[in-house]
Amino acid sequence: MINHHSLKQDVPEKMDDHAPDEDREHALPEAMLDLMSMDNDFTPRAHCLVRWFGLRSFVVIVPAAPAEAVITESKCNLLLSSISIALGNTGCQVPVFVQVQQKWRRMYVGQCEGPGVRTDFEMVHLRKAPAHYGHLSGLLDVFKSKIACPLSSVPPVNVCVRFTYVLQDCQQYQWPQPPPDMDACVASEVGGLEIGKLPFGACEDPVSDLHLAATWPHLTEDIIVDNDVYSDLDPLQAPQWSVRVRMADNPQCLLCDFLHEFHGLCHRKESTDQLLGKSLFEQDSGEVGDIGQVLQRLTEPVPLHLPLLPTVSSMVHEARQRIPRKHRSDGVPVTPVMLASIFKFMFSDANGMMETNPGVNEAATSCPDQETGNMHRNLKSAPVDSLTHRLALCLCMINYCHGGLKGVAQVWQEFVQRLRGYWESNIVIPWLNPGPPEFSCCLLHQKFQMLNCCIERRRNREELQNQHQLVKETGGRQRRDRHSAGPSEDASGFRSWESWSEDSEDEFYECESELSGDEGGEQSLKVVNSDGDDPSNEKSKRAEGRFQQHSSLILLSSGAPLYIPITQESAPMTEDLLDEQTEVLAKLGTSAEGAHLRARMQSACLLSDMEAFKAANPGCLLDDFVRWYSPRDYTEAVDGNGHGELSARMRIPGNMWAEAWESCKPIPARRQKRLFDDTREAERVLHFLAGLKPAEVAQHLLPCLIHAALLKVEEESSDDVPTVKRLLQQTISLASRVLRQPNSDPGRLADVLQQLGLAETVIARGRSLRAKFAVQSLDKDKEKEEVERFVTSLLEQPEVPVIGAGRGPAGSILRGLFINSQQNSAYTPGDDVALIQGNSASLPSGFPAPRGREFVLRTLVPRPAPYSCSVPQRMFCVLLKDQFTLAGAFSSDTSFY
Amino acid sequence: MASAAESGPAPPRESDQNFDYMFKLLIIGNSSVGKTSFLFRYADDTFTSAFVSTVGIDFKVKTVCRNDKRIKLQIWDTAGQERYRTITTAYYRGAMGFLLMYDITNEDSFHAVQDWATQIKTYSWDNAQVLLVGNKVDMEDERVVSTQQGRQLADQLGFEFFETSAKDNINVRQTFERLVAIICEKMADSLEGESAAAPGKKGPSLSDAPAQAAQHCGC
Repeated sequence: MINHHSLKQDVPEKMDDHAPDEDREHALPEAMLDLMSMDNDFTPRAHCLVRWFGLRSFVVIVPAAPAEAVITESKCNLLLSSISIALGNTGCQVPVFVQVQQKWRRMYVGQCEGPGVRTDFEMVHLRKAPAHYGHLSGLLDVFKSKIACPLSSVPPVNVCVRFTYVLQDCQQYQWPQPPPDMDACVASEVGGLEIGKLPFGACEDPVSDLHLAATWPHLTEDIIVDNDVYSDLDPLQAPQWSVRVRMADNPQCLLCDFLHEFHGLCHRKESTDQLLGKSLFEQDSGEVGDIGQVLQRLTEPVPLHLPLLPTVSSMVHEARQRIPRKHRSDGVPVTPVMLASIFKFMFSDANGMMETNPGVNEAATSCPDQETGNMHRNLKSAPVDSLTHRLALCLCMINYCHGGLKGVAQVWQEFVQRLRGYWESNIVIPWLNPGPPEFSCCLLHQKFQMLNCCIERRRNREELQNQHQLVKETGGRQRRDRHSAGPSEDASGFRSWESWSEDSEDEFYECESELSGDEGGEQSLKVVNSDGDDPSNEKSKRAEGRFQQHSSLILLSSGAPLYIPITQESAPMTEDLLDEQTEVLAKLGTSAEGAHLRARMQSACLLSDMEAFKAANPGCLLDDFVRWYSPRDYTEAVDGNGHGELSARMRIPGNMWAEAWESCKPIPARRQKRLFDDTREAERVLHFLAGLKPAEVAQHLLPCLIHAALLKVEEESSDDVPTVKRLLQQTISLASRVLRQPNSDPGRLADVLQQLGLAETVIARGRSLRAKFAVQSLDKDKEKEEVERFVTSLLEQPEVPVIGAGRGPAGSILRGLFINSQQNSAYTPGDDVALIQGNSASLPSGFPAPRGREFVLRTLVPRPAPYSCSVPQRMFCVLLKDQFTLAGAFSSDTSFY
Repeated sequence: MASAAESGPAPPRESDQNFDYMFKLLIIGNSSVGKTSFLFRYADDTFTSAFVSTVGIDFKVKTVCRNDKRIKLQIWDTAGQERYRTITTAYYRGAMGFLLMYDITNEDSFHAVQDWATQIKTYSWDNAQVLLVGNKVDMEDERVVSTQQGRQLADQLGFEFFETSAKDNINVRQTFERLVAIICEKMADSLEGESAAAPGKKGPSLSDAPAQAAQHCGC
């Protein structure tokens, strides 16, 4: 007894309330009306009790743990009688069920009490249908004997029948997308995968099977025959057809796989050096514990040949020079040919695109509509088609099919080398928007832009210097040599390149020192040549570094026209540099001294401008400078003639402006100390890039990849269902929320990837279904439209009725599918054939045997005595291959018996 | 508080963590409209007729309380001269709020407002809040930009509008408080939006399919 109670206490209760809206002014409890209602027949997605008994509201008592299952009959009876008492005491009209036997058998018994009427729910569950119950007539016999109707003329039993046919695999349709062939990638053609494109779609059919239900919703027992020798139940004649599709649980989808693999990279710890082997000498010393070597042994040896490649610029030559060298000692996963095609795609310099500033042309093409154009801002990725975007796509592909982490490390290393090549040969890197780093893009993109800024600055600077012909003979020749070495491909250029690359570091510093030496020399040269006398004597100085004459201003002291000087451009910054600088400035605190120091630290630009101004306007005053630089700080004289005056703040004694003005010398911009040291900054960028671990590279590029994936899904979803559109919108907004935070939460990133995968799967399903129903090949527009709609609803609803059943357009396609598959499997008789033994007599030709048969038998008869009220009786029968279930609800009049 | 972390440098540098959020605000506008004075009035409650013209950027800190939360305002003051544009716009990144200031006695500074607004749009995050501020109302005699004009422009740009005087301490505190309030509202909205989006995110999920299939098979 105590045991019983405890059991009852820890059972969870579950309410399943489907349509609680109907009015309850009936004599019979709702549950009993439900028994007879045909509305709930074959609800597609519900608790099995709903399907079996048509109930919309009930209570189930299930054992809390499998060990506590109600196995014995006495315990079961005990529970039932407790329920009976409970229902009687409370007047509750909701049926209550107990799950008995092992959980998997899904056996329930239950009871429902109403005013003067009681329904008992009972079940039979067998592995195999007894032969004589394998069809309708046998089942009717069971039903009638169970009711044991006392009347002589029993009213006919209502019958509802549903046969389910399963189309398991549509072998006749070869799934069009085989997984990418990795072996083919060794060849110059990348097997099936185009560089720079993300793959898309499922590798296997995402629709695993198709269930067709043929339903006869309303029959009476006397109008149909279904026995062991003959059956009227021909599915082609069934008045209702409906289809549900069962999707493969986790179809392998390429895009999703790609992304996940790449995302996986982000958690790797290995550095590039570890992966590729430190350098040549280390390889020679034969260090055994080196991870790179272990990996190397694991990877298959790559065919060794020195590739002969088409026209690529000298940097590529240089890089190629390295590849074979490495190949001799080190089995790198990415072949030279592969590498070359990747870099061709990334830099596309083989097409001579390099010198035509592709950044501009990209800006025009990549933003066709506002939304797509701005997407990179929202995701903090990089513009579509930019170098960064291309890099992300390539690395993702390399990771997936060309050596994984190690391949990524290799390509990244080569990539950085190539950037260095651009820098060293003074050639602008293609596929980047010109101008300072854009903070709306990912850091890596900013770094690339920064490098380009450095290159551009240096080019301008050197051009300027060449123009002025102030470069010393020796230094100039050397530099010019270097210039010509870049773009040209002649033998001497190439050789000089090789010598550069041997020892590039040293060369750099030498170059820098040579430059600064130049400047020093230049300056002294200048002083001697042009001034001859005391350089501090401003009056005698020749004007230098003029940009243009100011439209209106004249110098206050001399009345000469005021010239706007050439000034140095301010230093571009990437966001990490800016953050660093902000940090430094903020650290100074808010005190007056702090503020003063801060201003001083930022005064370089002001000072430089003042120097340039002085050089361009010999004999000028601070007033002149202010009138040009900060016009609001000077009030012109009212009478137009005499002098105006500086603003009060400019007249504060010892203020920074005045102080700076006093201290600065007239020096034209080109001879000033550079505000932006392009050499140093470029080295910093390259050092930063070279020091990144593959995992960090992957992290930096992930936004670009997600961006690309979103665009891919968008592109692929053009013909698809609203679900996908909605999903895509959700994914985009989720992605922008996640990616715009400085440190994206990895869990939420995974959510984004998952959603992308989901969208891909849904699209793949739609394609699969569309292929199955051969939507494209339909001739008539109307039919096409109808089938299209049908396919769409299959994706969005659990079960979809077929309009016109077997005779409509979708129906006839379905019929064809089934007949085909039946013919295909005819030679290898499967288990399905055995299933229909009970009912094999009169199958319509071509249609397979039903996988499952369901019958609902219903009637209203007086029970238990002839004079009792007519009360609902119902029996639900399921006949499957290995399951035979009868679920009966038998009511009896409790007042008159 | 995702948004809080989004824009402010989340972990405070100073060891004194006696605040709950940090907002980074920026004052921008033409040179000599009174940005520095305005900031000194708010942060230190002082006024000097002449501050040295700001070189580059400078900042002040003020902590305010709102709904029992201490909010540390890091207010960056910028140089208004044309030359400093590229330098100062770099700092727009991560700012949660802007005071776009013009001088009611100077027409040029008013006409430049549109440009400044464009700069904000280009260089800041989308959710940054902006107030338009017409400063120097103490110099009513020299006014050349009417309140009406200011309000109209603010409406057109979708900003809220204040007229202030740093000298006479008119509307200075109110301006900052309003900006902080708008930022807080926006933050609450975006948090709400996020949690509202979460259930929607479920949508059709892969896991639905097997469950539904299992349901059917066994029947």
